[in-house]
Amino acid sequence: MKAMFLFLLRSAPLLVLSGVAAAAGSIDGEVEQQPLNTTAIVMFLLFVVMTLLITWRAAKTTTSSAAFYNAGGKITGLQNGAAIAGDFMSAASFLGITGLIFVGGFDGMILSLGAFAAWPLLMFMFAKRVRNLGSFTFVDVVSQRLARGQIRIVASIGTIAVVIMYLIAQMVGAGKLIQLLFGLPYEVAVITVSALVLAYVAFGGMLATTWVQIIKATLLLTGVTLIAILILARTGFSFNELLSLAVEKHPKGEAILSPGVVFKDPVQIATIQVSMLFGTLGLPHILMRLFTVPDMRQAQLSAFYASLFMGYFYLVLLVLGFGTVAFIYGNPEYFDADGKLTGGINMAAIHIASAMGGDILTGFMSAVSFATILAVVAGLTVSGAAAISHDLYAQVIKQGEPDPKTELRITRIAVFVIGLVAVVLGIAFENENVAFIAVMPMVTAASVTFPILLLSMFWSGLTTRGATYGAIAGFLSSLLLIVLGPQVWVSVIGNEQPLFPYDYPGLFTMPFAFAVIWLVSVTDRSARGEIDRANYHSLLVRSEFGEKAAGEGAVG
Amino acid sequence: MTDPRLAYVQRKTRRRLAFSAVHLVLYFSFSLNWSSWGEPLSHRLGVTQVTGSLLMFILLVLIFIGMEFLFLQMESKETQE
Repeated sequence: MKAMFLFLLRSAPLLVLSGVAAAAGSIDGEVEQQPLNTTAIVMFLLFVVMTLLITWRAAKTTTSSAAFYNAGGKITGLQNGAAIAGDFMSAASFLGITGLIFVGGFDGMILSLGAFAAWPLLMFMFAKRVRNLGSFTFVDVVSQRLARGQIRIVASIGTIAVVIMYLIAQMVGAGKLIQLLFGLPYEVAVITVSALVLAYVAFGGMLATTWVQIIKATLLLTGVTLIAILILARTGFSFNELLSLAVEKHPKGEAILSPGVVFKDPVQIATIQVSMLFGTLGLPHILMRLFTVPDMRQAQLSAFYASLFMGYFYLVLLVLGFGTVAFIYGNPEYFDADGKLTGGINMAAIHIASAMGGDILTGFMSAVSFATILAVVAGLTVSGAAAISHDLYAQVIKQGEPDPKTELRITRIAVFVIGLVAVVLGIAFENENVAFIAVMPMVTAASVTFPILLLSMFWSGLTTRGATYGAIAGFLSSLLLIVLGPQVWVSVIGNEQPLFPYDYPGLFTMPFAFAVIWLVSVTDRSARGEIDRANYHSLLVRSEFGEKAAGEGAVG
Repeated sequence: MTDPRLAYVQRKTRRRLAFSAVHLVLYFSFSLNWSSWGEPLSHRLGVTQVTGSLLMFILLVLIFIGMEFLFLQMESKETQE
C-alpha cells in the first residue's frame, strides 16, 4: 500500500496541473485506454440528440450577428448563472480535483477554492459595469475610452491567443478522456467534439451554446449529488464518520485532513491562487456571457447564481474526494497488479461512481464528463468567432459599420476555421506534454486581459499606450516564465532544474503587467493620452447608469 | 465635484472596492494554512475529525456567497430608493 501511495504521490504534480487547469478544462497526466463502455456511449448519444434538437430550434432565431453573439440578450439571470457554471465546471474540476483529494486530501481544496472564488469578485467588480459598457465582448468595454482601433486589435489578439491555447488543452483533454471513459481512440474524440461543436455554434450560436451549458451543468450537479448521497448513506450520513474512514484507509492517515501532503510552499500556493482567481476574471468566453442577459440587474444575478451552483459543486466535491479515499483505497477491484489505480488518478472520481452506483452511474458520469468538454469548447468557439467577426472585422476593418449579412457569414466562417484549427492542433499535440498549454490561458488572461479590463473601468489615469505596452509585457513575461519554469524547461526541454521554480507565474507576471501599464500611462504626454484620461468620468457614470455613449466608442 | 451622479458613482465604487478588498483578504488568508502561522488550523476541532483548515474552506465558500447576497441586497435597496 505504501508503494502504491508513493506512486500516486509522484503522479500528483500532473494531477495538480489538471486541477489548476480546471478552468481550462484540461485532463493531463497519465492515461490508459479502457475497455469499450457501451452504457456511457449510449448515455452520451442521448445527450447529443437532446442538444442537437435544441440547436435546431435555436437556429430559427439565430438570424443575425447580434443573436449569434449574445442570444438576443434574452437569457435570464438564473439561466445565465447555470450556463456560466456549465461553462466553467469542467471535466478537470470533477476528475482532477477529486483525484487530487484522493492523493493529497486537504491539499486539493486549494484548487476548489481557487476555482470558486472568482465569481464573487466578478459580481463586486465587473458584472454590472461590463454589462453596461459592452455589447458583445469585453473588448467593447476596454475600447470605450481608449483609442478604439489600436486597443481592439491588442485585446482581440489577447482573446484569440487565450481561446486557441484553451482549445488545445480542451481537445487533448477530450482525446484522453475518451480513451479513459469510453475506450474509443483519441482521434475519434477530437473529431467528434469538433463536429458537434460546429453544429451547435454555427447554427445555434450563443443560444444553443447556452442551453448545452445549462443541460451539462444540471446533469453534472445531479450526478455528483447522487454520488455524494450514496457515499454519505454508507457512513450513516455522518461527514465525521466519512473522514474517520478516510483517515483509516489513507497511507498518510490523519495528515490528509491538514495541508502539506502535496504542497509544502506557501508561495507555490499563492501562485496558484493568483493564476486561478484573476485568470478566471480575464477569460473572454466567461466575460462574454454577461452580455446575454437583458439588463445589469440580471448580469449581477448571473454572477450570484453561478456562485451558488459552483459553491455547491465544490462543497460536494469535498464529500466525493474523501469518499474516494474511504472506499477506493484498499479495494483491489480498482488497482492493477502493479498497485496503480486503474486508468490513472483522474479515474478516481469515476471509480467512486462505480463503487456507489455500479455500471449505470459510471456510464452516466462518464457521459457527463464528456459533455462538459462539449459545453466548454462551444463557449470558447463563440468567443473566438466574436473576436474575429465583431471585434476585428466589424469594428476595426469596417469601422463599426459592417454589412450585417456579411458579418454573420464571416462569423460562421470563423466558427468553421476555429473548429478546423482545434482538430489539427488537438491531433498535433496528442503526444506532447500539454500541461504548460493548459496553464498558459489562465496566466495570460490574468496578465493581459484582466489588468486592461480592470484599469479601464477603475483607473482614470489609464491610456491607450499604457494598456498596449502592459498587455505586451504581460503576455511576453507569462510566456518567458512558463518556458523557464518546470513545465517546459524540465518536462519538455529535458533540463534537470528549472530556471524559474513555479508552474504558474501569475503571481509575478500580473503585477509586472500592472506596473508597466501604470508607468507608461503616467509618463504618456500624448494628445491621445489626454483624451483617454478625459473620457474616464463620463465612462464611470455610464457604467453605473447603463446609458450608452454618443456613438459606440469614446469621446474622441 | 458638481455632478451628483458622479458623486453617487464614486460612492458605489468605494463600496465595490471595499467588498473586493475583504474578499481578497479572506481568499489569500487561505494560503496561511501552508505556513507556520496557520499551524493551529491543522488541529482537529474537539473530538471530531474536522480540522480548522477544513472548516475554514467550508466557511470561506459560505461567507463569499453571503457577501454576494448582501451586496445584491444593498444594490437592490438603493435601486428602489
